Amino acid sequence: MNAESNNSKKSVKRSRLTVERREALQGYVFVSPWLIGFIFITMGPMLFSLYSSFTNYNITSRMDFIGLDNFVRMFTTDSLFWISLGNTLYYVAFMVPLTTVGAVLLAVMLNQGIPGMRFFRTIFYLPAVLSGVGVYILWMQLLSPSTGLINTLLGFVGISGPAWLFDPEWTKPSLIIMKLWSVGGGMLLYLASLQGVPKQLYEAAEIDGAGIFRKFRTITLPMITPIIFFDIVTSTIGGFQIFQEAYVMSESGEGGPMNSMVFYNLHMWNKAFKVFDMGYATGMAWVLFMIVMVLTLINLVLAKKWVYYEGSDR
Amino acid sequence: MKAKNRILMLLSVVLTMSLLLVACAGGNSGNGNHATNAPANTEGNTEASDPPAASVEKIELDFWTFWGSETRRPIIEKMIADFNSSQERIVVKHTFLPWGDVWTKNLAAIAAGNPPDVIINDINTVAQRANSKQVVNLTEFLAQDNIKDRFFEELWNTVEFKGEAYALPFNTDTRFLFYNKDAFAEAGLDPETPPTTWAELEEFAIKLDKKNGNRYERVGFYPNGWGNWGWDSWMTNADNGIGFVDKEGKVTINTPNKVEALKWINKWTDRLGESTVNAFKAEFGSKQADPFISGKVAMINQTATFYTQLRDYGKDVNFGIAPIPEFKEGTGHYSSGGGFVIEIPFGAKNPEASWEFMKFMTDVQAQEYWAIKNFDNVANIEASEKAAMNAELDEKGKLVYGEAVKNLQDTKIFPIPEFAPDFRSLLNPQGMLLF
Amino acid sequence: MSADGQTQKRRYYQGQRFQERLRKTVVALLLIGGSAIILSPIWWMVSTSLKPMEEIMQYPPTFFPNEIHWGNYVRAWTSPAADFTRWLMNTAFITVCVVIASVFSNAFIAYGFAKIKFPGRNVMFAAVLATMMIPGFVTMIPQYILFAQLGWMNTYLPLIIPSLFGSAFFIFLLRQFFMSIPNELIDAAKMDGANHFYIWLRLMVPLIKPAIATIAIFSFNGAWNDFLGPLLYVNNESMYTLQIGLQTFKGTEATQWHYLMAASLMVLLPVIALFMFFQRYFIEGMNLTAGTKG
Repeated sequence: MNAESNNSKKSVKRSRLTVERREALQGYVFVSPWLIGFIFITMGPMLFSLYSSFTNYNITSRMDFIGLDNFVRMFTTDSLFWISLGNTLYYVAFMVPLTTVGAVLLAVMLNQGIPGMRFFRTIFYLPAVLSGVGVYILWMQLLSPSTGLINTLLGFVGISGPAWLFDPEWTKPSLIIMKLWSVGGGMLLYLASLQGVPKQLYEAAEIDGAGIFRKFRTITLPMITPIIFFDIVTSTIGGFQIFQEAYVMSESGEGGPMNSMVFYNLHMWNKAFKVFDMGYATGMAWVLFMIVMVLTLINLVLAKKWVYYEGSDR
Repeated sequence: MKAKNRILMLLSVVLTMSLLLVACAGGNSGNGNHATNAPANTEGNTEASDPPAASVEKIELDFWTFWGSETRRPIIEKMIADFNSSQERIVVKHTFLPWGDVWTKNLAAIAAGNPPDVIINDINTVAQRANSKQVVNLTEFLAQDNIKDRFFEELWNTVEFKGEAYALPFNTDTRFLFYNKDAFAEAGLDPETPPTTWAELEEFAIKLDKKNGNRYERVGFYPNGWGNWGWDSWMTNADNGIGFVDKEGKVTINTPNKVEALKWINKWTDRLGESTVNAFKAEFGSKQADPFISGKVAMINQTATFYTQLRDYGKDVNFGIAPIPEFKEGTGHYSSGGGFVIEIPFGAKNPEASWEFMKFMTDVQAQEYWAIKNFDNVANIEASEKAAMNAELDEKGKLVYGEAVKNLQDTKIFPIPEFAPDFRSLLNPQGMLLF
Repeated sequence: MSADGQTQKRRYYQGQRFQERLRKTVVALLLIGGSAIILSPIWWMVSTSLKPMEEIMQYPPTFFPNEIHWGNYVRAWTSPAADFTRWLMNTAFITVCVVIASVFSNAFIAYGFAKIKFPGRNVMFAAVLATMMIPGFVTMIPQYILFAQLGWMNTYLPLIIPSLFGSAFFIFLLRQFFMSIPNELIDAAKMDGANHFYIWLRLMVPLIKPAIATIAIFSFNGAWNDFLGPLLYVNNESMYTLQIGLQTFKGTEATQWHYLMAASLMVLLPVIALFMFFQRYFIEGMNLTAGTKG
């Protein structure tokens, strides 16, 4: 009797083990495409760049180990490094919250079942489709102090607009406004997410007499927190890597008035491809990596407090 | 049953993935490009070329330029075709790559060991490329046929690094003062007497200003960032054409004349007001609306090729040209220029064949053709002189081109020394702070 | 009393309906205003694309073209410096491959990260996020060398193959969507003896259709607009793509703005069409929990 029960316990344990193992095996199969790509395509170049940050690598002829020299230079003698970091933090600090709030509001508005909704959605998504150098040149025209559309419109309501890209105080706000214009990409994420909010929840709340704002706060918002979290994390990462717009709008990377558009990646690019100091540039890249990693980890920890997953983590 | 199901699922997923892979890879090679099957450096699909003769294996060269626009592409491709038909041994294929990115790709290709055979590159950074072994040293080829003398000396200096040449100058540019003759007449100035000194420039500019209340309807001139000229060019103009750092590393940034130039620019900004200055700067920067062509700015420093835009888009503009005004009488009408070189990236497979092609491209025939078709200054002296008299140019064109060639004597090029590759980024905020 | 209750109820519903209508009107007005703001920069493109070059060079610039040149569109597409029809085919080919690969691979990988527990999962997911944090241009050169050594130069393989391995952004995004699906659904299916592959394909993927549509739209957009990729890996002009083609309007002196804008707008059209098409998957009330009952 005793032995028998022991035996059956064992077999339960074993079968659970094999269930777990089988589960894990399937898990590995699912992530294997990524793993293969990571090992064979992504990891090598990443490790290479990590190593080269300790060298004087110049891409074509030189790669001698120089220890921490690049980092010492970065933190002690390169004033543009700190300027670029400051500019980038400024940009991220405003861009991320503004675009997140903007995208959520827009998505909610575009989910109201108003006639012509497809049409509206397309219009708001358009800027996200437009990409590349052409758009930035377009915006330079729009932001032109005297004949640009923006200042012309501001003039109609009696405001004399700033010089935008020519005023060091206004260059970063200009870029943030431009980013807000193309908030349609983020909107699309929330729109997709909103489709997953069960209708019964709203119906139930309506029976309880909840108004639109309460419904938004108690139902919509919690249900889309996974995507808000995603949006914040990825746009922070993306914001730190702002490059092309600054490059185009500051005359091929010159950095704008009073270096106000020298962003982190712009400085890094200049180091890598104008001066061929690739070792230094990779060093900068890994410093950026550390900064963004820490911010992301903070985000991940905080997420436990506010992100709601219907299917909790398993 | 369960196990079978699982395996089936797995199989189907793997199959889908691999099918997709095959479809994409296969479709790719079926896309009309043999290149998929052949290594990059031996590809044989220059579209226009004849099937290679069975006996003689022709050498194929890949030539990268950023000249892909509908004005420039036919010109460069005609020159290449001329070269291809001028001899039997070498076939050159032209590949257009967009401005700026062409050099990023070149760099990656050099690092990977599969660079193009010949490339057009920036004239100011030859020393940096030589120093980091991105280009082939030409000494050995020059020892066999010394063609140094066919180039302007100022241009030749840019291609030398530690006394050895790493590229051949291809084209260059020069800047002078374009002024609106009608505006001159309207302001009571003699349309045939442009300003020659800074003082005159300022005096004329004030007369040419036209104000309506607080707004400028026309601005005579502004020295910094309108057109193709900035504070750094004025600094060198004031300082006997001396740049900021020379090849020996002597730094000449804070000389009295250079500082005075900055103060002078400041005076203009104060007079016209920041908002007017920025407003026009934005227009010139947009490269769309052009206030000079529209008659809103009466004088401007521009490259000689600006003439082609006046010819094509500003038919009514009655303009004149003059050398850049000099600092004080007799100090010299120093202008500044840039340009491009033709060179062999390090690791190219056939440097000797590349050299043949480069020689052709910098010879009189090719260079003259380039000059008259593009209205561009070329590096070859004889070609420059011949182009200025070429029957293909109209009267105005001959005049402008002739002036452009003459202006080269006063045109300074400021190559970036290899030991201070980013000195400009250090200079920039300093220059701005002085304002 | 009962009649009283009836009128009260009716009044309540009338109030509701009025509120609803008011809300929709306000939202519609806001959207119309917003559209005007969004579209005004695009108007600038349209306007420029219809002007002759002489007018573009005019200062101050004109808001409406003085005369409309529809011919610019034809002229841009048939530009002698470019081969847009061929480059369109190339771009379409690459894009279709990338979209199909991305949709499959990312949905597959993300499910593993979201719904299956296995040792090392968190570390691997951290690695997924980490790959997003390194700026592309420091890995660009080593990656180029790697692809060169694989013999992939001058093919579309470097543009397509990586999408088979998923991208961090999409994996993360789809993981978030999968995690919003209740686990009971999976547990119930498992009770019935289904394995994860079956659950993934038959239950999960249909439930996140809007998210999959988003991936399709984003990856289409990304591949369609990719500039640096084709530029780096293709050496043959016959294999170029539209984004490189647009660059041929930029001259050394003067850019042909009218043609550039016209061609840019034409290049935009397929993306808009695709977006319109995929909107069918954004149907309100797509219900995740409904699956359990179904």
